[in-house]
Amino acid sequence: MGVRIHKRPEVENPVLIACWPGIGNIGVIAVDALRGALGAEEFGEIEPWDFFYPKKVLIRNGELTDLEFPSSKFYFKKTEKRDLMFFIGEEQPTEAGRAYAEGTKAYQMANLILDVAAEFGCGRVYTSGAAVAPVHHSSRPRVWAVPNTDRLIDEVKGYENTILMSEIEGRGGQGNITGLNGLLLGVARKRGLDAICVMGEIPVYLQGLPFPYPIASKSVLEVLAAALDIEIDMQEITAFAASSEGEIERLYEMFPSEIRDQLDKLKTVAPAEPSPITEEDKQKILEDIDKFFKREPRED
Amino acid sequence: MSDKRALRIYGAPELNCPTMVVGWGEDVGGLGSGVTDYLIKKLGCQAFGEIEPEGFFPLSGVSVENDVARFPESVIYFCAEKNLVVFKSNSPRSDWYRFLNSTLDIGEHYYQTKEVYTIGGMVYIGAHTSPRHLVAVANSPEMREALAQSDLAMDINYETPLGQRPTLNAFLLWIARMRDLAGASLWVPVPFYLGSAPDPKAWRKIVGFLDDRLNLELDFRDLDEEVLRHDAKMAQLRSRSADVDTCIHRLESNIALSDAENEKLVSKVQEFLESKD
Repeated sequence: MGVRIHKRPEVENPVLIACWPGIGNIGVIAVDALRGALGAEEFGEIEPWDFFYPKKVLIRNGELTDLEFPSSKFYFKKTEKRDLMFFIGEEQPTEAGRAYAEGTKAYQMANLILDVAAEFGCGRVYTSGAAVAPVHHSSRPRVWAVPNTDRLIDEVKGYENTILMSEIEGRGGQGNITGLNGLLLGVARKRGLDAICVMGEIPVYLQGLPFPYPIASKSVLEVLAAALDIEIDMQEITAFAASSEGEIERLYEMFPSEIRDQLDKLKTVAPAEPSPITEEDKQKILEDIDKFFKREPRED
Repeated sequence: MSDKRALRIYGAPELNCPTMVVGWGEDVGGLGSGVTDYLIKKLGCQAFGEIEPEGFFPLSGVSVENDVARFPESVIYFCAEKNLVVFKSNSPRSDWYRFLNSTLDIGEHYYQTKEVYTIGGMVYIGAHTSPRHLVAVANSPEMREALAQSDLAMDINYETPLGQRPTLNAFLLWIARMRDLAGASLWVPVPFYLGSAPDPKAWRKIVGFLDDRLNLELDFRDLDEEVLRHDAKMAQLRSRSADVDTCIHRLESNIALSDAENEKLVSKVQEFLESKD
């Protein structure tokens, strides 16, 4: 189990931005867009075989020639204002069929990433994911931010379109961040390293669908770019978000009218206001949407 | 990554660069367990070690099958006379790399295993009456060359389709290759409607190859009789059910069935093969 460094970047006090796929792939789309826009260069990877089941076998003329695993790669970019490091995992290491990373393997991976961060003098870590919220898809997704130390709260309050857990009605500053996007925050805290997780809001009724939600990724990317004080071209992610918006709107129109009427109530909710939908309503809506997607095809 | 702590070795058989045969419990047509059980029984193989389940299987309780509680088993057997090691195991559910390395450690570390063969069934959309070809995938050009003289289908080109994952046998074969250990996976096509029941014809194909390759000198009369009994049972089902006969006849004529017909055929065959008469 180890890390392979192909090239040693000369970076100074870099910031690490790490992410994995999750709900709506919100975090990974945002971070990969940032990496791509900056033209960050790959410099290393975590050896995959201890963490992952292979994803592809290649057999040529009766001989097994290759076995591909999900990748876990490090990238770097020196910008004018600061040096950046990226870690992008293609999958979260899971144990025995669980949906998100937890347990020994996840803890080992979090520590390997932070070993690399420490080796290159990294002083700050960002992770990114999704925040499932009672919001409507037509509203601009906010970004929930969770730092791993009190010292960072004031800084986070200064981020645009960002809220803390305590600003969300009914949460009282409490919550959970599942998977490695959350775990890395905790392991960083244990090792005395500052970290912040930024999570783009996804409507509660879209959380279970196998679609990306780049609209929220765009919000996350805006926050990351501002926090890191870097300028990036947002054209590509804006186009991706626009095309996704169209698809979601088309899907929404297919929902039965009684579900849509309930969900439309979410359009009026202002940040930090109580949700107009009760927990009971929410459960019913999720069940109805689930049924809607599982319904038997019927002939006309 | 090797981890000898996962191994519990309780015997010290005298073996000299043995061949290792690996079969998994959960396999199409019961091939993995069917073939390894057959070799263990016919050759009088003795258990001499196992891999502890902790870390590889969820140990939150036991499963019950056919009224009996089951527990994950990963046992290693030997037959000194044939210089053979047989590993029979349930498929691990996590930490596969460590598990598969431990599997190869058993034979390689203690006895310098010469070759490893894995056994697997692959579902195919065809009739049980069609000729079965034994398919092999080698893990090195040398091993491919060595197997070329046998009656095997080896002209295979394949890439895992999107959304699917490679088999545990492919993973094991790849690790063996990383360790410079020659290996091959052996596959027999199993008709989709026989996938969840034992398919003795498929077992016979693999055991026949291993007998030739490893000079096992097995007497196959019992297995051949089992194949005949299975064929007779399938013929009986066809004579009793016009639907089943029609479906199988169409498969024999290379005519595809609808999804509904496929499901019905699987269900009828399974129900009949599990019945006591």
